[in-house]
Amino acid sequence: MSFSIKKDGEVVVVDVEGQLIVGNRQELKQKVLDELERGEKKFLIDFSQTGYIDSSGLGVLVSLSKKIREQGGELRLANLNDDLKTLFELTKLDTLFQIADTRERALQSF
Amino acid sequence: MIDLARVLDAFRAATDCEASVWTQPNPNAPPSLGAGTANAPTVHHFPSVADGEQTIATPAGDALVAAVPGPRRAWLALGPCTSQSIALRACMTFLLPVVGQYLQSALEVEHAANELAERYEEINLLYTISEILGRTVALDEAARTILSEVSETVGARRGSVLVFDRATNSLHPVAALGAPLADVHPISADDACSVSARAFRAQHLVLAEDGEMLCPEEAQYRRGAMLSVPIMWTAPAPRGAEPLGVVNLSDRRSGQSFTAGDQKLIAAIATQIGTAIQNTRLVRASVEQQRLAHEMQLAHELQMKLLPDDDIVAPEAIVAARVVPAESVGGDFYNLFRLSGGRTGVMIGDVSGHGYQAALIMALSMSASAIHAQSTTDPGEMLASLVGTMREELATTEMFISAFYAVIDPAANQMHFANTGHPHAFMLPHGQEFERLAATDPPLGMDERPPLTARRGWSAGRDLLVLFTDGVTDARNPAGERLGEEKVLQTIRAHRDEDPREILEHVVAVLDEHTEDAPRRDDLTMVLVRS
Repeated sequence: MSFSIKKDGEVVVVDVEGQLIVGNRQELKQKVLDELERGEKKFLIDFSQTGYIDSSGLGVLVSLSKKIREQGGELRLANLNDDLKTLFELTKLDTLFQIADTRERALQSF
Repeated sequence: MIDLARVLDAFRAATDCEASVWTQPNPNAPPSLGAGTANAPTVHHFPSVADGEQTIATPAGDALVAAVPGPRRAWLALGPCTSQSIALRACMTFLLPVVGQYLQSALEVEHAANELAERYEEINLLYTISEILGRTVALDEAARTILSEVSETVGARRGSVLVFDRATNSLHPVAALGAPLADVHPISADDACSVSARAFRAQHLVLAEDGEMLCPEEAQYRRGAMLSVPIMWTAPAPRGAEPLGVVNLSDRRSGQSFTAGDQKLIAAIATQIGTAIQNTRLVRASVEQQRLAHEMQLAHELQMKLLPDDDIVAPEAIVAARVVPAESVGGDFYNLFRLSGGRTGVMIGDVSGHGYQAALIMALSMSASAIHAQSTTDPGEMLASLVGTMREELATTEMFISAFYAVIDPAANQMHFANTGHPHAFMLPHGQEFERLAATDPPLGMDERPPLTARRGWSAGRDLLVLFTDGVTDARNPAGERLGEEKVLQTIRAHRDEDPREILEHVVAVLDEHTEDAPRRDDLTMVLVRS
């Protein structure tokens, strides 16, 4: 379980490897908030290497989305696998996020 | 000197001369008679070894006196004799070494006896300390008693026991002798001038002579030389020996320095104190752990008590419900409400996260939903009021609640529901397939918009409402595979015409069979309703 952060043009791209759960959600949150503090505005979280997100992981995504919006920024999600897509649909979380099928599409959408 | 008296008597019998031995154990008092024949004269003149033999006059005739060579101050007096033919000087030459040898042996025996008595005292001290440590877990009390016992044995009038506190990196007094404990100050483990700190750091005893290493913090229990011995405890490998504190002793009654024997004895006792300190800590930790486990158990029972009995909505509705928290307390819950007009309110919720914080939000949701359910029969409105009550708590804790709330009205053959992010809500209409009652809004606390209410037809006494949390579908077997939603629905489908309580038992059996003894990662809740 780890997070890697890199810059693609103006967009901060975060890769979530493994799971996003109660045990590591604070780490993700801190990393994104640090970037936000540095003045970054555009964020993309890529879940292509993510198998599972638990409820506290979802909570952190919502909380980050709010904080980024408050600073005038934007958050996009990309590459949710079928299970995660279903989870977002079932819980209506898809209405709270802009979700793209691929990283390229997400980057283009900013 | 009984044996010596016999020798002198035998001498007299052989020579007809009186004989006596005088000793001076105390240099400030005059010599006194140690042993002598019946008519031996009193001697007043005591020559030194260098003076050799000297003749003294007594009323019964001349006598010869000489100092006995050896460590003890003693004199041998021979004469007077009834026979004039006895050569007293020759007798003196013969007898003086014999008496000297005797006195030397007697002195050695005396030393050995003293030594034995001291060892006995030390062994006795070790026994006493073992006994003190064996019957108490109160470290301060044990340290106080041990300090006074050990001081008594080595003849020290002042001392202290200091224990290391990792949090403050200092040595804290737990017992003091010769000063009130309240006046004794802690010492930093890095202190440069303190004898205690140096012994602690070096993990080796330090003997500071009078006037050496004077530190104001140690002045209360130090006079003259001070012996500081580290209290060591040997942990199982790889940690090995570590210092836990120090024992200090000072101000010896005899005024002499501490001997190698004293140092060895105190080092042995310090090791025993180390074991006692460690025991005390382990006992405390164990008691604390038991207390926590007990409190968790109480919290679990309290949380279970918050959940309603299945039969509070009977006979209008038959309900089978179960919650199994992953930890002692959790964030899953359900609630049942008896409403006007024969209607029944059914709610299931899952607070994000686990543990105490989730349990508190759960308890709050339980009581708030009970109030709001009575004020409206519209599920969307009820959930909107609920989130209104809890918005601040949810925002500050960054938690949210996925909730489903339905109001079943069998008289009107209708069910109204609102679903805020709850993934597993189904209706099983009689003779038909499952219909998913999908979420109409994201979980409570994530979105500002009021939840929507949806409506379905309801066949009274025949249709089944099926609600469960993701703890059920995500339950893993020992190989890490999830149970999955379909397996749960399949089981219910197979037993659809049975009583909801029986259907629940079938699902629980399937769940148990799947998970075997794998640990639960999430709370797990299921509610089945027929109305």
